[in-house]
Amino acid sequence: MTTVEETPAALGEVDLLRAEVARLTAERDALRADMDRRDGELETAGRMLAARAQTMTSVIDAVTEQSIIGTDLDGVVRVWNPGAEKLLGLPRAEVVRRRLITDFHLAEELAAEGGGLHALVRLAQAEGRDVRDWTYVTAGGEERTVSVAVTPRSDDSGEHAGWNFVGTDMTEVRASERLKDQFVSLISHELRTPLSSILGYLELVLDDPDQPLTEEQRSYLGTVERNAQRLLRLVGDLLFTAQVEAGRFTLQPEDVDLAAVLRAAEENARVAAAAGDVRLDLDLPAADVVVAGDPVRLGQACDNLVSNAVKFTPAGGRVTLSLRAGWQAADGAFTEQPCPGGAPVARISVSDTGYGIPAAELDQLFTRFFRASTAKRNAVKGVGLGLSITKAITTAHGGSLDVVSAEGRGTTFTLTLPIPR
Amino acid sequence: MEPHAARVLVADDEDDIRGLVCLAVRRAGGTVVAEAADGPTALDAARSTVPDLAVLDVSMPGATGLEVCTTLRAEAATAGVRVLLLSAGASEEDVARGLASGADSYLAKPFAVAGLVARIRELTTGGTA
Repeated sequence: MTTVEETPAALGEVDLLRAEVARLTAERDALRADMDRRDGELETAGRMLAARAQTMTSVIDAVTEQSIIGTDLDGVVRVWNPGAEKLLGLPRAEVVRRRLITDFHLAEELAAEGGGLHALVRLAQAEGRDVRDWTYVTAGGEERTVSVAVTPRSDDSGEHAGWNFVGTDMTEVRASERLKDQFVSLISHELRTPLSSILGYLELVLDDPDQPLTEEQRSYLGTVERNAQRLLRLVGDLLFTAQVEAGRFTLQPEDVDLAAVLRAAEENARVAAAAGDVRLDLDLPAADVVVAGDPVRLGQACDNLVSNAVKFTPAGGRVTLSLRAGWQAADGAFTEQPCPGGAPVARISVSDTGYGIPAAELDQLFTRFFRASTAKRNAVKGVGLGLSITKAITTAHGGSLDVVSAEGRGTTFTLTLPIPR
Repeated sequence: MEPHAARVLVADDEDDIRGLVCLAVRRAGGTVVAEAADGPTALDAARSTVPDLAVLDVSMPGATGLEVCTTLRAEAATAGVRVLLLSAGASEEDVARGLASGADSYLAKPFAVAGLVARIRELTTGGTA
């Protein structure tokens, strides 16, 4: 054992050591207090997290009509809600960490898109989100059409950790859409067949040089023919509307001279305009205005606008058809001179001095079967398909259809179409 | 002028339409050699008397006009028969399907009789009318 010599120097060292021990003890106590405090904080945070997770789980568990499936990056299922259990017929315990999302998809459908998980997530990866119909195959082997929204999932550090698949069963909805489509096709076929006979035999009677008709007979049969044609147009409009609804309306674009389209529309409306004592003016530019489009459909769109204008204009009024080539600025403004950042467009406008459309009804104007109150009040004939068809044709051409109207003063429809550069 | 009146087979399940087509054939200077109201009868008729032209309705019972047309094309004896399809479906899809089956021409119902006469004349005189 060594003894410390009680010299003044040694005494000073002992005091120093004692002071150091006291400092360290105090520091230890402070650390311990800090640890206790942090423990408490951690416990609170843990409880909050658990509560939040519980909320999330209960929300996901409450979703019974949509399937919510979460996977890791390899497509292994990690989240499987009651909606998924109900739709696909397997309990969570049999799926989570044990099955791949692709196990529940129709293999041919995935193969057609390049196969595997990649087929499912390719667009969501590129665009952050993808919604479309996929075919799910249930545990019982039944196929269901499901609208699936695919989004990437990230972990707590913001790293991409997997994928979410939120699905809504659309099997019945799609089936009824198909049924409606088939019904419209069937009806239009069934109506067209007798109309073919009516119109064909009428033509034979009207054009028989060996047995000429009296003026009176000719006029009666002319009425029959006009009405048969009207029925035929209606059937065509219904069929076209159904095709647009089903997304089966496609264009085969070719160069279309819009001046010719407008001249034809003016000619087609001439008889009705004369009968209603409505003046019809045509205002065309000197140079050709050519767009890429379907001449028949564009003709139909212009015919609809012009015949509407004539129908909605009382005797003594005026309908003006005009065509201009110009530029459309980013804010939609139209100029006849090139403007910076503008796109070349053709602009068809059909103005009338007719009954006009109440401002409150303008929003619904392009809705199928909608009829303005001014149409009903003035007994203007129609079923309310023309403008929805015109709008669909315009949209399919990448154009826009606008309307300005003042009740009692008239209406102007403007159809703007892009001109290929 | 053709050395003989063109022999035409007319097939449509609608009697009235068939009557109209037969009349158009005669107006075009042709002879109706057979009439049929369904696909199989049309095929049998074409096999027993090979016509110059077959005017076929697209939607017929038994076999559609498209199926009849495809079969005519596939058999050596009838491969050269000219085919005009008539259909109440007039979409571009319908026309494309019709021409893909091997038809020479396609006319949408309802047709103008004068237009049908012109089309039949074109098809029975090799386009030299």
